[in-house]
Amino acid sequence: MTSTSTSLSTSTAPSAPKPAHKEDSILRIALNLTAACLISGLFIAGTYFLTHDTAVQKEAELKALTLKSMVTEADSYKNVAGKTDWYIASKAGKIIAYIVPAESKGYGGAIKMLVAVTPDGVVKNFNILDSKETPGLGDKASKPQFSGQLLGKSAEHLTVTKDPSDKDDIMAISGATITSRAVTLGVKNAVAEVAQFVKEGGS
Amino acid sequence: MFRLWKIFSKGLIMENPIFVLALSLCPALAVTTTVVNALTMGLSVMFVLSANNVVVSLTRKLVNHKVRVPIYITSIATIVTLVQLLLQAYAPLLYKDLGIYLSLIVVFAIILARAEVFASKNSVVPSFFDGFGMGCGFTLAMLIIGTIRELVGNGTILGYNILGHAYQPALIMILPPGAFLLIGYLVGASKLFNQYLEKRQKARGEVV
Repeated sequence: MTSTSTSLSTSTAPSAPKPAHKEDSILRIALNLTAACLISGLFIAGTYFLTHDTAVQKEAELKALTLKSMVTEADSYKNVAGKTDWYIASKAGKIIAYIVPAESKGYGGAIKMLVAVTPDGVVKNFNILDSKETPGLGDKASKPQFSGQLLGKSAEHLTVTKDPSDKDDIMAISGATITSRAVTLGVKNAVAEVAQFVKEGGS
Repeated sequence: MFRLWKIFSKGLIMENPIFVLALSLCPALAVTTTVVNALTMGLSVMFVLSANNVVVSLTRKLVNHKVRVPIYITSIATIVTLVQLLLQAYAPLLYKDLGIYLSLIVVFAIILARAEVFASKNSVVPSFFDGFGMGCGFTLAMLIIGTIRELVGNGTILGYNILGHAYQPALIMILPPGAFLLIGYLVGASKLFNQYLEKRQKARGEVV
């Protein structure tokens, strides 16, 4: 790997090999490596110790910010009992939307999303949290040109089409049909889950 | 001072990590679909490369010759982890964007190569300039590849539409095969340019 560049390196590099180490016993070599690992371990542990609290706090802030950006007009976000990461966004006691996590299999692996669904089963907003879609193709799914189509849709129109004259359904991103389908399916599942939850009378 | 400039500048074109040394081609293919991605990756590599060169240079007399490569890798991994922890705490949004790139940096050949070839044999200041110069060269190459790919493959630069809506983007350019083709041409171009430079230096009677 380095042979190509060795000859190109500057004149300051000594051309003779390093003087032989007399004390090169296997123990010394092992201790050398152990010491290096120990020192780097201490550095990492120290930094972790110093930054961990801030990191946890920042993460919570970020989460609150995400929830806030999903349903901007709500004034309280309550955790749903018995459901992890489900939130109810309400304003003055009236439920505006359920914010639920969704996941579906895209082209490059799982696509993780947060979906805000109104109690009557309409997509209010959604946010792709984590995805490994092809940069430049599949990752256009978070651009408003595509994601805007999903807003305000109910379950029956959450299907992907390639027909430009079909205005009711979701127009696929060209070159990224799998991603388009995955995102739409994830959102649709979230809508279904919320509908089920509302039908069971949960709040 | 002139010597330091020479150490710094050789990484830009004469020994450009991607176009001439042909190291770290993987990130050059994988994360150059947009200018922003390419620039982010380039700057991260520049930072880790400079920092690692300094660490390796500082510890070069303590490190046993036989285990130097594992120790360099440990050092790179430590620096990357520290950066991750700090970003997580103080710039979580940036951390979210950089996430996957940062962990990839640990295995980049260019960083290990500079530690082995340069930093382990030179004092701190030249080592820093070597790392910084190589990092700049890497960033420059990533930017060139990223700009061309985003422009041809998507019609935009930094997300702004340049070529107008009538332009049909050539999808192949944002897929890996397009990057291979492009890097091939760029390697050829840099070779021609370096040959021209050498010829000019010879004509001036300078020792190359």
